[in-house]
Amino acid sequence: MSVLMQVSPILAALRRHRSAVVLLILEISLTMAVLGNLIFIVEGTLQRSRTPTGVMESDVAVMQSISVIGQGNPGNVGNSLAQLQQLPGVVAAAYGGVPLWYAERDRLFLDSARKAPVAQAYAFQGSQAYSRALGVRVIEGRDLDDDEIPVAEATNEHTVFPALITRALATQLFPGQDPLGKMFYNADSGFRIQGIVEHLRGQIAGKFDDDFSMIYEARIGAMDMGGGFTIRSQPGQLVPALRAASDLMQRMNPGHVQNKVYTMQQLRTESFRGDLALGNMLVVVMVILLVVTALGVSGLASFWVQQRRRQIGMRRALGATRGDVLRYFQIENLLIVGHGVVLGAIAAYVLNRLLMQDFEVAQLPFGYIVVGAAMVLVLGQIAVLGPAMRAAAVPPVVATRSV
Amino acid sequence: MVGYHLQLASRSLRRNPVLTALMVLAIGLGIGASITMLTVLHNLSGNPLPSRSDVLFHPQIDPRPVNLRGADPEPPDNLTYIDAVNLYRLKGPGRRVIMSSNWLPTRADVPDSPLAMQTTRPTTSDFFGMFAVPFLYGAGWSEQDDEKHAQVAVISRALNDTLFGGRNSVGKQLVIATKSFRIVGVIDDWNPQPRFYDVGGGVRRTGAFGKPDQLYIPFFTWLDVPQDYGYGDMSCWGNDDNAGDHEPRAGNCTWVGLWVQLDGRAQVDAYQRLLEGYSAGQHTAGRFEGPPNVRLRGLVDWLDYKHVVPAMARMQGWVAFGVFLICMINTVGLLVAKFLRKSGEIGVRRALGASRRQIFSQCLTEAGTIGIVGGLFGLPLAGLGLWMVRQQPVAFAPAAQLDLPMLAAALLLAVAAALAAGLWPAWRASRVTPAMQVKSL
Repeated sequence: MSVLMQVSPILAALRRHRSAVVLLILEISLTMAVLGNLIFIVEGTLQRSRTPTGVMESDVAVMQSISVIGQGNPGNVGNSLAQLQQLPGVVAAAYGGVPLWYAERDRLFLDSARKAPVAQAYAFQGSQAYSRALGVRVIEGRDLDDDEIPVAEATNEHTVFPALITRALATQLFPGQDPLGKMFYNADSGFRIQGIVEHLRGQIAGKFDDDFSMIYEARIGAMDMGGGFTIRSQPGQLVPALRAASDLMQRMNPGHVQNKVYTMQQLRTESFRGDLALGNMLVVVMVILLVVTALGVSGLASFWVQQRRRQIGMRRALGATRGDVLRYFQIENLLIVGHGVVLGAIAAYVLNRLLMQDFEVAQLPFGYIVVGAAMVLVLGQIAVLGPAMRAAAVPPVVATRSV
Repeated sequence: MVGYHLQLASRSLRRNPVLTALMVLAIGLGIGASITMLTVLHNLSGNPLPSRSDVLFHPQIDPRPVNLRGADPEPPDNLTYIDAVNLYRLKGPGRRVIMSSNWLPTRADVPDSPLAMQTTRPTTSDFFGMFAVPFLYGAGWSEQDDEKHAQVAVISRALNDTLFGGRNSVGKQLVIATKSFRIVGVIDDWNPQPRFYDVGGGVRRTGAFGKPDQLYIPFFTWLDVPQDYGYGDMSCWGNDDNAGDHEPRAGNCTWVGLWVQLDGRAQVDAYQRLLEGYSAGQHTAGRFEGPPNVRLRGLVDWLDYKHVVPAMARMQGWVAFGVFLICMINTVGLLVAKFLRKSGEIGVRRALGASRRQIFSQCLTEAGTIGIVGGLFGLPLAGLGLWMVRQQPVAFAPAAQLDLPMLAAALLLAVAAALAAGLWPAWRASRVTPAMQVKSL
């Protein structure tokens, strides 16, 4: 028997249960709408938690050393950095913070009159060797050179810093032009672009300007400053190198409070912990939804199988095979769930629109609808399998018995 | 009659134990999931100080230039240093308090006490009385202490435990930002949620669901200590977002929070006029470019305005609603099928003299029974769900507690949902025509 020929009697039978069928279709479409959007949100979180910051994360760490103002400190930044640099396993050490930790955002201007800002960017400001300590990848132009950067004590509002900026920021500031050598300004200083780095994300919020960043350095010598000290180790030696570095910093700067010491990996874990926890909750919710919908589908199918025992027996007596009966219920399920899926695709888009208004959710790509549809269709088939097999097991002799 | 209906219901439900179990499971899961998320949402949007919220108000004024690009028409959340001090000095009808936040290097003034950064709330003397802060030892400082820039401090119970092993430390000395401070009070555990007076969070990013402050010192004394550890939740206008970082008295940066206590409509109106008068005066004097743009929100309105409930929790609330809706539809579908399957039985009962009403209430009893059992099954699930939320490393995790009213609400919701889900199927069942059914038997 061809599948198509079965459809019209199935539809005729379904029309007798119109209300139950409509409810089931509604339930399936809602499930799919919620499911598609939740998968999208969870997937987005996972993606963000894996987006690189652009620094060599496995080898970079930061020490927060807070200077107690008004309390003398025998140490200074220049000496501390020189000593840190000597530690075994340390590739580079610099004054300055790391991504995901703390980075000021500056408004940037193309004219020194600073009339209209053209972008807002994460400003990674540090000492000599800062870009090397972060381990960013310079893809155009050249890295900052310790001999060419201004001396911190001598900087003023006329100082022009050589700067590295990200490719994304270069495109924003100078679309279609060669950015190397071009000038731009923040509220305090001027900058000449000396190199382009591939990526440097101050935060990973999933926003278009996460990757708008600049790095500039000033030579710091005998000044005592508190703040972040970034170190980069030889590959795989971060833990011992960081321990030694933190001890050394404390010894050299008794006038500082060493508040926190983080590896980049710890910072990453901490930044995404909440989001990932929410993701886990949503996964639990998705499983609950799938289970509830499966229960609904198989519950209704069971009722219908019980209700139609005599008809099934009659069909079997008239020559239908077990396979025919099985397929009947499978096709019936496919029709119902299919309708639900079509409605569900529309509902998923509507729900996505609503979420976009209220929450920071992006537009739902079509792929998620397809995945959601496939999941719901497979779920429907699995849910109906039990009742359908019970139907197929109905012996033909049932037709001859009255109730 | 009810007993008879219950008996029939239990018999009917036991006839199809698997299907009954499916329905109970579906309702239970739906109730469990939605109660979990609703409890979190409910606790997050609760009133942090029910006894005081009616009399606490948060004034805002607008010192910004008129044609500021992309500026919010609402005045800034906080005040500039100048306006905060001016309004603090202009005594209104009731108590008032100014405050900010940061952290300061602190230790006990004894040898070997390690220096550590402690979250600090610089504020004025009325803070403790206005916000009904409970004290373990001692008390707050006086208004004279504020005026004299006295070096006194109130510490949290947790800091008292760390530095003094929990003993009464009133009268002991602390070294805060290199200066000597005398402890005058230790407050008991106190952390109203949401922390209405710190919704912005500021440099320490504590925020509405953050941890309590460890150290409270007089505002004006705080400005005197050698410090550059950040100044509250600062926001500046103009081209330099970081203008006030090292100069908190900058005229274009807001960061000082003001709260006032106003008892009754008359005082609220009087303070509203005071704010407008002050703004108009500053406008005339040339400091404010615009005409008065002031707000005087009560505590609860302020929390609403600031949308303190995290987007994450609000989204979970919507998801909960979705799950609940799907479970309802599921139940309606199953009940329709179940009741219609009993058409034969219903036909016989009708033919034997049962009224439509009786059939209807019989079916509803059945639905309600499913609801109660499903709800009872869903409650432990909700408990499990909340336990999972508490394991989450998020700031509001401790808010995920199921209290007795919420427990009762959950059970009520389950029964109401099942009854609502049963209404239409039961009505349909009661419309069964007895003649047709009896004939087909």
